[in-house]
Amino acid sequence: MSQSIDTFNPFDPTGMFKGIRDSNMDTWSRMMIELVNTNAYAQATGAMLDTWLSNSAPLRKALEAALVQVLANFHLPTRDEVAGLAERLTNIEMRLDDMEGKLDESLRAARETAGSKARSGGKTKSSHGEGQP
Amino acid sequence: MTTAETRLPTGADVLSELQKIYERAKTFKRLLTSDAKVAQTPKTVIWALNKARLYRYAPVVPEEQRHKIPLFLVFAIMNRPHVLDLRPGHSFVEYMLRHGYDVYLLDWGAPGPEDRNLKFDDYTLEYLPRAIRKVKSVSGSDQFNMLGWCLGALISTMYAALRPDDGLKDLVLLTAPLDFTDKTAGGFARWTSTPAFDPDKIVDAFGNVPGEMIDYGAKALKPVENFIRNYMNLWDNLDNPKVVEAWHAMNTWVRDIIPMAGAAYSQLITEFYKENRLMAGTLLLRGERVDLGRLKANVLNVIAEADHITPPCQSEGLMDRIGSQDKEVFRVKGGHIGIMAGSGAEKSTWPHIEKWLAARAD
Repeated sequence: MSQSIDTFNPFDPTGMFKGIRDSNMDTWSRMMIELVNTNAYAQATGAMLDTWLSNSAPLRKALEAALVQVLANFHLPTRDEVAGLAERLTNIEMRLDDMEGKLDESLRAARETAGSKARSGGKTKSSHGEGQP
Repeated sequence: MTTAETRLPTGADVLSELQKIYERAKTFKRLLTSDAKVAQTPKTVIWALNKARLYRYAPVVPEEQRHKIPLFLVFAIMNRPHVLDLRPGHSFVEYMLRHGYDVYLLDWGAPGPEDRNLKFDDYTLEYLPRAIRKVKSVSGSDQFNMLGWCLGALISTMYAALRPDDGLKDLVLLTAPLDFTDKTAGGFARWTSTPAFDPDKIVDAFGNVPGEMIDYGAKALKPVENFIRNYMNLWDNLDNPKVVEAWHAMNTWVRDIIPMAGAAYSQLITEFYKENRLMAGTLLLRGERVDLGRLKANVLNVIAEADHITPPCQSEGLMDRIGSQDKEVFRVKGGHIGIMAGSGAEKSTWPHIEKWLAARAD
């Protein structure tokens, strides 16, 4: 997309950069990909992250402890307590889902039984009118 | 003789150019900060558990012309699955519906603080089997086909190996990160293999790993492409509605980031990236050893040749270890997302997947 002299537009602020950009972008991109794929980069970023996490941990824990204390003073549940309640709700959802699964199985078995009875020439009426469980 | 030499710009030219630049800048800003309409294919929620939702897409082909075995799509746990149904006219879901498939999609949802203890054990053996049960129940088929993408492919593979008799017929894996033998293949493997990188410290600090952190990590693998060239290309093509529409939809999906459950992240880094337990045959999910030799479904392993997130070597190793008789590797030119959501996907990846499934259908 570089501008030739014929199409040179002095008022396009990006135009001046396009030529330089297009000729150098691929090289720059390859260089950066190579850089982030070096062991030195991996170790440096790993060390930086580790330092930041280690240094911020005491402050974070102090803040959390203070917050728990404040919430307790106001008789409000902490985040862990709310999260625990949500986990219990999910467990109840799972039990309900288990029940739904068993119900699906029972309905299917009942349909198959009714179907086989009908096929064997019996005059048993099927009580299942629904298409899908 | 050049234009610049023949006529000097007048004041009106200057104003006109400034006006154009202003308009382009406004469009540019709007595209960066607004959301395109994505995931437009009509669908209904047929099952829900915690944050997970299972969708069934409205079929567009009459029932008698439809494939009997449903197609179940499983996307990664740290991104929205809308990329499979990006925009009308360019949607894998839409494409498969047009070809007569009964399509289901599992959206894992965004984990909240209460989900920080969710692990791959839970996704593979608690959530996925329940969703599959529902797919079978609604479709009325005992068999199903499954397509997993990225970490969704990892979960699908583990499930297929742990439950080989559950009715899985055909398994399509897209850019599946499974084999971490080579610690120098790709930035993620290299970064996470350094002793200083401790996932437990990250989880301890954040609970769930913030989406921004995962997004930054993915973008940092190709920094110039993602932080600069992506936006330069948009600026250059602002007058091309097709490019703008595609860019806007993709950017909407990229911006819609979600956290990853803390325990799953820690497990991914330690048990998969660092210790390569799946390939070593030592991975235990809820006490069950994941033996890839037990996987017997037909497998199509789609590999993106220019994938910087899941380098090809992380997917290739699977083929020698699985017990499947019918297995194929399909290599596509393109990147991790581009092979399914790029402009060429409809001409290469989608037809190949469709034909592979159709050849084994019903």
